[in-house]
This record gives sequence, C-alpha cells and structure tokens, in this order.
Amino acid sequence: MSLRRTAATRRNTGLLALAVATVVFILPFLFIFLTAVKTKQEAALLLFTWPEQWQLWQNLVDVVKTRNYMLLLAYFNSTVITAGAVALLVIFGAMVGYVLQRRPSGWNRLIYACVLIGLMVPPAVVPTIWVLQGLNLFKTIHGMILIQVAYGLAFSVLLYRGFISTIPRDLDEAAVIDGAKPWQVFFKVILPLLKPVTVTLVVVQSIAIFNDFTNPLYYLPGKDNVTVQLTLFNFQSQFQSQFNLLFMNILLVTIPPLLVFVFFNRQIVAGMTAGAVKG
Amino acid sequence: MASTSSVILKDICKSYGAVEVIKRVTLSIDPGEFCVFVGPSGCGKSTLLRLISGLEETTSGVIEIGGKDVTDAEPSARGIAMVFQSYALYPHLSVRDNIGFGLSLAKLPKAQIKAKVEAAADALQLTALLDRKPKALSGGQRQRVAIGRAIVRDPKVFLFDEPLSNLDAALRAQMRIELSDLHRKLGATMIYVTHDQVEAMTMADKIVVLNGGRIEQVGSPMELYNAPVSPFVAGFIGSPKMNLYSGLAAGEACGTYGIRPEHLRLTDDTPRWTGRVRHVERLGADTVIYLDVPQLGEMVVRADGDTNPPIGAMQGVSPQQGREFRFA
Amino acid sequence: MASRRRSTYPYWFVLPAAVVFVTLFLVPTVASFWFSMTRWDLFKAEFIGWDNYRQFFKEPFLIQGLVNTLIYAVLTSATKTVLGLLLAVLLTSGLWMQGFLRSVVFFPVLVSTIGVGITFAALMHPTKGVINLALGYLGIDGPAWLSDPALALYSVALIDIWKGVGLATLIYIAGLAAISPEYYEASRIDGATRWQQFWRVTVPLVRPATVTVVTLSLIGGLRSFDIIWATTKGGPGFASDVLASVIYKQYQAGFYGLATAGNVILFLLIAAIILPLTWWFNKREVDL
Repeated sequence: MSLRRTAATRRNTGLLALAVATVVFILPFLFIFLTAVKTKQEAALLLFTWPEQWQLWQNLVDVVKTRNYMLLLAYFNSTVITAGAVALLVIFGAMVGYVLQRRPSGWNRLIYACVLIGLMVPPAVVPTIWVLQGLNLFKTIHGMILIQVAYGLAFSVLLYRGFISTIPRDLDEAAVIDGAKPWQVFFKVILPLLKPVTVTLVVVQSIAIFNDFTNPLYYLPGKDNVTVQLTLFNFQSQFQSQFNLLFMNILLVTIPPLLVFVFFNRQIVAGMTAGAVKG
Repeated sequence: MASTSSVILKDICKSYGAVEVIKRVTLSIDPGEFCVFVGPSGCGKSTLLRLISGLEETTSGVIEIGGKDVTDAEPSARGIAMVFQSYALYPHLSVRDNIGFGLSLAKLPKAQIKAKVEAAADALQLTALLDRKPKALSGGQRQRVAIGRAIVRDPKVFLFDEPLSNLDAALRAQMRIELSDLHRKLGATMIYVTHDQVEAMTMADKIVVLNGGRIEQVGSPMELYNAPVSPFVAGFIGSPKMNLYSGLAAGEACGTYGIRPEHLRLTDDTPRWTGRVRHVERLGADTVIYLDVPQLGEMVVRADGDTNPPIGAMQGVSPQQGREFRFA
Repeated sequence: MASRRRSTYPYWFVLPAAVVFVTLFLVPTVASFWFSMTRWDLFKAEFIGWDNYRQFFKEPFLIQGLVNTLIYAVLTSATKTVLGLLLAVLLTSGLWMQGFLRSVVFFPVLVSTIGVGITFAALMHPTKGVINLALGYLGIDGPAWLSDPALALYSVALIDIWKGVGLATLIYIAGLAAISPEYYEASRIDGATRWQQFWRVTVPLVRPATVTVVTLSLIGGLRSFDIIWATTKGGPGFASDVLASVIYKQYQAGFYGLATAGNVILFLLIAAIILPLTWWFNKREVDL
C-alpha cells in the first residue's frame, strides 16, 4: 500500500467512524435534548423530530417545581453526600496509601486483603441496613456518606499507594533530618505532592457517587433524603405522560458530568486507566 | 563559624533479619575532620552513614556525637545535616522554603529564618534563584540548594551520601573543589560517602575503607596509598589499579604480591619480567600499557606520555626499589 | 531495643479508615453468612439452616436469575473487551477527529445509568420507538426489545455495552500507548502485515489492559443492577431478572433472610469466577 493511499484511507475511515459514532453515541443525547424542550403532547410521540414548539424554560421551571421543589432538595442532598464522602476518601485514602507504601509491616497483607475484598465483594445490603440501624445511621445523610466512603476506599487506597510509590523516599528522610514529626512529613511534604492524583480521585469519585443509584435506594429511603438519581427514578412513574419533563430531568442530571468531563478530561482518563498499564 | 564535634562509633552492628550488614565497627572522627567512607557497592558505607544520621537504628553499639550518646536520639536532635544523592529537594517548595524548611519546623521567628536563608544563599551564590522551584534549577544548582539546606541548621556534623554521583565529570571536579572550600570555611566535621576513590583521595583528611560491613583500614589518603594493609585496600586506592599477583607466581615468599603501574619502569636491561604489548592507551601526559606476561597474566604499566611501544612487541619491565608490596 | 521510631503513627493513619471499612463493609459481609440461614425481620432472626438456599435453588425464577446473571456478565464483558480493543486500535491509528471521537465514545460512561435506562426504554419502544421506526424505513420489522421475554435480557445487555464500552476503549488506549512503536517498526521490517501485527504484537503486548478490562467488566456485569432496574425491573415476568434485582425484590417483599442468601450466592459466584481467573492471568504473566 503506498503511503498516499494510506492517508486517503485514513481520512475515509475517519469519516465513516465519525458517521457511525454520531448515530450510535450522539443521537441518543440529541434525543434527550429535543424531547426535553418539547410540549407534553409532542414529547409523548417519542419521535426524533425537531420541536414544533420550544418550551425549554417552561419545562425547566415545571420540573424544578414538581413535588414541592423536590429536585432542588435532591441536588442539595446529592451535593452534600458527594462532597462529604469525597473529602473523607481523599484524607483516608492518602493516609492508608502512605502507610501501605512507606511502612511495610505484617499488617500490610491484611490491608491488601481488605482492598481486594473491597474491590470485588458485593456489599451485603440487608446486614448493612441492620448495622446502620444499630448505629442510628440508617436513612441519614451522614450514614450515606460513610457508606460511600466504605465502598470507595479500596480504589482510593490503591490509587494513592501507586502514586506515592513514585515519590522518592529521600524526601521523607530529608524532612525527618530537618526535624519533621511523622505527621508533619505526611502533611507538609507528601500531601502537597499528591495534588495531581487527588484531582483525579476527586473527579472520578464525585461522578461515581453523584451517579450512584443503588446505594441511596437501599440505605437512604424517605422523601426528605432523595438524591438526584432517585428523583429521576421516581419521576419515571410520575411522568408517565409527561416525557418532556422526564427528559428535562435527564438533561439536568447529565449536565454536571458533561461539565466535569469538559474541564477534567485528562484527570478522568488518568483515574480510569490507573493500573491498566502495569496490570 | 559553625560549631564542630567529634563522632565516635563503638562496636556498631546492624542486621536486617539474619543478614549482618555492619559488623562491629569502631571508629573515631575528630572535630573538624573531613572523613570519607569508601568501598565498593554493598560494603555498608551508606548504611553506616544512615546509622550516624539516625535514619536507621543500630542493632547494637553506641554512637556519640560531640561527646553525647545519641544512639537513641531522633535524627533532628543529633545536630547533624545530610545531603542526599538525589538532593531530595521538596518539589513543591521554592528554593527559599526548601532551605528554610527545617527552621520553620523548629518555629523560628520569620525574620530570623529569612536572614539565615539569605546568608546561606549568599554564600552559595543562590540569591538570584531563591524564588525558583527545584524543577527550574540545573544539577549543580540543586546540589548547592541541598548544601544550603544543610548549612542553615548550623549542624555540628555534615553527612554527605554520594552527593556528586548525579553530576557530569566536569561539574563533579568543580564541586569537589567547592566542597573542600566549604569545609575549610566552616571548619565543621564532615562525613562523606562515595564509591569513587578519586573523591576520597582528593577531599579526605581521613579515609575509612569498608569491605563487607567491616573496616578494612583507616588513614590519611597518602597512608593508604603508601602503606595499604591488605590487597583489598591496595587494589581500591590508586588509579590505574595496583597489579596484584599470587606470591607463588611472582616468585615471592608471600601470599599476594603487588606493584602499582606507576612504579614499574620499562627497561631492556635485565628486566624482571618480559611481556607482549597487548594494548596501549595514550592519555597525553601518560601512556598506559597493557602487557601479557606469561607467568603472571595481565600487567598494567604507567609510562611517560611519549612512550609508544608497537602492539605485539616484547617489552621488559622492572619494579622500582622499595615500591613493592608483599601481603601475607 | 524498644525505641523511638517504632512510633504509633501508622495506626493512627489507618484507624479512621479501618473503623469505617470494618463496621460498614466487613461486619455486614461476615454477618451475611449467619443471616442467610435465618428467617429475619431485622429485629428477630430465627435460625432455619439451609432453607433459604434450598428455596433459592427450588424456585425456577430464582434459578433463572442466577443463569441470567451469568449470561449477562459473560456477554457484556466479552463484547466490551473485543469491541473495546477494536475501537482502541481504530482510535489510535491517527484518524481524522480522533480526539473528538474518543470523547464521544467515552462520555456515556460518565452519564447517569438511570438516565440512560429511561432514554433507551423510550428509544426501544416496540411501536413508537425511534429504533424500530428507523428499522421500519429499512423494511425491517423491529422486535419488541424490552418487552419480549426472549429478548429483554439481551436488549438490556446491549444498553449496558453502549454505556460501558467507552471505559474498555479508554483502558485499551492507555495499554496501546504503553507499547513501544519500535515493536511495530521491527515487525514491519520482518515483513509482518497489519493483520499479523495485530495478532502477534498488539494482542500479546496489550495483555495487562485486557486483564483489567475483563476483570472490571466481569465484576461489574455480575453485580449489575441499576441499568436493569431502570429499564425492565427484571421483567417481563422474571425474564431479565439477575441476582442483584432478585435480592432487591426479596428485600422489598420483606424476605430479608432470603435476600441475604441471594447476596451470599452472588458473593460466592463472583469469587468462584474472579479468583481462578486472576490466578490464571497471573500464572501466564509475561515479564516485559
């Protein structure tokens, strides 16, 4: 194959790939958007057509007002859960990852076993509810935060351990000679160097926790505790005949990850592929 | 001028599990002395330095710095400072904050930290670089920051762990001179670890040759050169290496017979040995000649720069009187 | 020597995380073995031995849930792996608009599963749905994707693949980037065709990424719940029920012991598949 023909082939394959990707991956999102701005009657047809009448704002207001501003409460709850859990995951993950990497001891095997269990084992839901009830944490926002921490910890520890192994040990020792206490070595020398991996962790875990449906479904029932994903699920039955509002809601929950994706593409890629190369 | 202290090691042992890496080392370093630990990799020289620094704990034995037992003291309480092979500069801090890190941990007043950092920077020609991050510095500049970080703490003892091994040859030669200057200026005790015998010879007041976790010999550079106690020391100090042969092959009544390349002279007048010229390295000032001597094997001879024997020719050599070594 | 630097800080660093993990993850997991052998209403647990497990393997719909779980996991994992590798090769070949295409393929990974489920439920509507209308234009009589019992599970799997293939692609792209171009140059000089390069260079050298993709997607597939719940709720009937949805249904119905037995079975199933697989992958590890 001559080099010039290769270039032409490349161009054509590119166009073809673009066409297929558009149909398969972009049209569903366009469908969401178009349905979200239609009238109730038009949206009910489920057709992939240009809206005859645009009512983006009206639909937005309607969906926000539904059930006494439930969506706003849901956004508030989801934000609190996500922020709280991610903050704890950063601190806990970095501390455990640091000890695991820098202080080899007999306990490490145990910690590694826990990490493996955390990554693989499906949570035992009903016994977890039983524990939460015993601790008065069932149906509470802070209980939900701790659940997300427990479930996300294994990934955080692995990510931090991997990154800390790239920081030369000489730095710790130089700090010790400079008179730093162990906690000062961690907070003044190591933690500031973890910024890149922390951004990655925050972005990846935020998306995972914000999008989580199953865990709030089990551990956070109740009208006052709704999260964004649960509202969406509840509206599915309520909006049987109001697809415009249902899809407006989908549009609203899709925008935060879209924004995060646009601004933190690189960090997301780093987090999602961590370990893929080394195995 | 910095204060200065003696360092005394008494029967130091260190093992990792069943592996003994330091075996009963006893050593005394005088105040203000520049002491170099030298030896091949794995001889325990870095471990010994880390024991003195307190980064590693001794298995048994006593370490005294300035007459005080510091065996169980924290590294920061020993009055030492350390320069690492990798420099270990904190990447997230500016040069200024790197140098002042230890002082700020000790909660010194800001103005005092600033004054000390700037004085150190001035002495090391780092003033213009104070607000840069380590990433923006050259190798030599990083090296100076690492030294600056050590100086501001007014240590009684400086510890250097192969500090020049990441530099290129030209810079290494320059830094050797700078370090010697610094030692003269500060008058502090310095302990310096290297595997490079040139660094040991050029900078040390006292050289400690380590081998397999034991001290092989302690002495000034010229003592080690002129009177090595063992074939190991003889082979390690001096370049090109001393020629070493079994006494039997050399026709001597000793275990090992040694003669330095610079103490052999080329002669055709009843030479002690005759060998075939295998290879000639012309360095300009000197010429290094590799001979194949039938009864001994390879023999290296250091001759004048103008010497240029043809490859393959037979060449006679004789040792200089009084320069031969006979080891048991 | 009981000395200074055997300090206790490692314990303090690990302690908070350990408390949360042990209380909210390990304790329930261990407790689940006990509760799975009880009739349980969260307050009183009455020991009934293996009855819950017996019931699980007697009820046809529960067994179907188990079989469905396996089909679903293997199908989604295999497809994501193969498609992910092909897409990654395509998206690293220097195509026009390559960066944009990568983003387009990856974006569904970040979107709410429930939102995706609802959207596809609309797109897959048997009579009004866009997919069947489009097929109609081509003269094809589209099936009842999510309401045909014979098809529902596979339709959900298709949605899952659509949403998840971007992650597999991304991991493979990272894996491909780690292969030195010199291998391709060397094999080209040795006269390898593109096809031979793919099989003899790419596939073996991208193995670490394959291990990650297969393991992650299998675990994800076996635990899959929300995409199924948002589209079919396990229906029609029990046609697309998997273990996770069975567990939720038993929980909703108040059969806590039975639900927990389902949980233990899911746990054992994942362990029985992933542990040998990991062992096999490690055994064949080539040092590169």
